[in-house]
Amino acid sequence: MSDRLSFSLQINGEEHALAVAPERTLLEVLREELRATGTRRGCDQGSCGACMVLVDGEPRLSCLSLAVTLRGRAITTIEGVETAGALHPVQRALIQHGAVQCGFCMSGIVVTAKALLDHNPSPTLDEIRQALGSNVCRCSGYAKVIEAIASLSKVRPHE
Amino acid sequence: MRYAEPATVEEGVALLASTQNARCLAGGATLVAMMNARHLAPELLISLHRMAELSILTETPEGLWLGAMLPHRALADEPRLRGAMEVIRSAASQLAHPAIRNMGTIGGSLCLADPSTELPVALVAASAHAEIAGPEGRRIIPVESLLVDRFQTSLRHGELVTRIWVPRGGPGAVGHHLRFSRVASDYPTVSISLVLALEGGTCRQARVAVGSCGPVPLHVEAADQRLVGSALDAPALAEAGQLLARAATPRDDVRGTAEYRRLLIPRLLGRAVAQARERLHV
Ligand SMILES: Cc1cc2nc3c(=O)[nH]c(=O)nc-3n(C[C@H](O)[C@H](O)[C@H](O)COP(=O)(O)OP(=O)(O)OC[C@H]3O[C@@H](n4cnc5c(N)ncnc54)[C@H](O)[C@@H]3O)c2cc1C
Ligand code: FES
Ligand code: FES
Repeated sequence: MSDRLSFSLQINGEEHALAVAPERTLLEVLREELRATGTRRGCDQGSCGACMVLVDGEPRLSCLSLAVTLRGRAITTIEGVETAGALHPVQRALIQHGAVQCGFCMSGIVVTAKALLDHNPSPTLDEIRQALGSNVCRCSGYAKVIEAIASLSKVRPHE
Repeated sequence: MRYAEPATVEEGVALLASTQNARCLAGGATLVAMMNARHLAPELLISLHRMAELSILTETPEGLWLGAMLPHRALADEPRLRGAMEVIRSAASQLAHPAIRNMGTIGGSLCLADPSTELPVALVAASAHAEIAGPEGRRIIPVESLLVDRFQTSLRHGELVTRIWVPRGGPGAVGHHLRFSRVASDYPTVSISLVLALEGGTCRQARVAVGSCGPVPLHVEAADQRLVGSALDAPALAEAGQLLARAATPRDDVRGTAEYRRLLIPRLLGRAVAQARERLHV
């Protein structure tokens, strides 16, 4: 085992002091050190998107990111998406549209969709599909997920 | 494992040269995946992300220098990659999926030398060169001589890629990349990168490279020559496609058999040329 490095990470607006080996990924640090298990481990290979978090507002696969490389960056996980105990509009829309099945992929989908809408408040259906290209749902219920996110689009896409 | 984040290329080179089993960390997309799968356990990991010069893009009248640490997403959004150089923007904007495009870098793609990835193919079509820093200083070599085999480059011990030179190409040239995959965002079954220039209806310049069809991007001089001087009509495209298909050494895998890949090459060449011509409006 490697020597541990001491550093801190800014997660959901809070600084967390850590002492972890340099090969530890952000996913492992979130789940195993900080016990923030909302971020899911699917493939550990960058193929499923279950581990998606936002780094400086951009979607990033936490399973492929070494924690030590993210010092000084603003990290947002699914736990940081609710505000004052209220679900994020993306979360409410997914529930309203019956888009959630087993829910395993949902943390990744919610943060990916949040980043999309933060950058582009009126995405077209195609833009939504493109943005979610990194997120695999093993229950394969993509249609309702897309409908739910499209319902939040400021201008209804005419497609 | 030890970890270092040197601020200069020279410090990085010294560290790389001083350790037997040291690796550079660029976007980490493949390197960390391999570490997660226990395929790889470097003794020293040298992160490149603090070496400022690796993230710089420089424009000259002859072309662009692209820093090795520029992520795919930045290249996809780069308006200065136009004309012949657009082949790189085209490949970067289509490959993999959004989160990988956020992380993966052009230098990482090149040095990984994975025969199924797409930027190396685009770089060969663009006649790109790589600048390499090592214990003896810097040298510049064509990308084609950096890529020597599957997952193998000609980089020597202690060397890293600092930036990539992309020439502007002839007047009126256009670059385009076509990927054919089972579903969007999967690795391609076959990919084609090309640079074309037309004068009137006649092709004046052509350079075609094919990916996922051999250990390194496939480039066949005779196929380019079959297109030059032609009107890019069906017989010229079919013959150039056959020359490429015959020279290809694809593998059978989950994305397609070798035979299927050979059949695809001429079909996709025709499609790629048609799409490039749409951009040229001729
Ligand atoms: C799930 C997944 C799907 C993908 N799909 C596609 C696809 O469809 N098409 C496609 O083209 N690509 C695809 N890729 C590859 C991706 O685009 C990246 O090119 C690749 O991951 C490497 O880039 P990186 O910057 O992350 O490099 P890293 O993973 O950090 O490094 C890769 C290798 O290169 C070495 N290295 C990195 N930079 C340098 C340098 N400057 N000098 C010397 N050595 C260096 C490292 O030591 C390592 O050995 C995919 C990757 C993943 C994980
Ligand atoms: S766990 Fe990270 S992409 Fe699957
Ligand atoms: S809802 Fe089950 S994996 Fe997507």
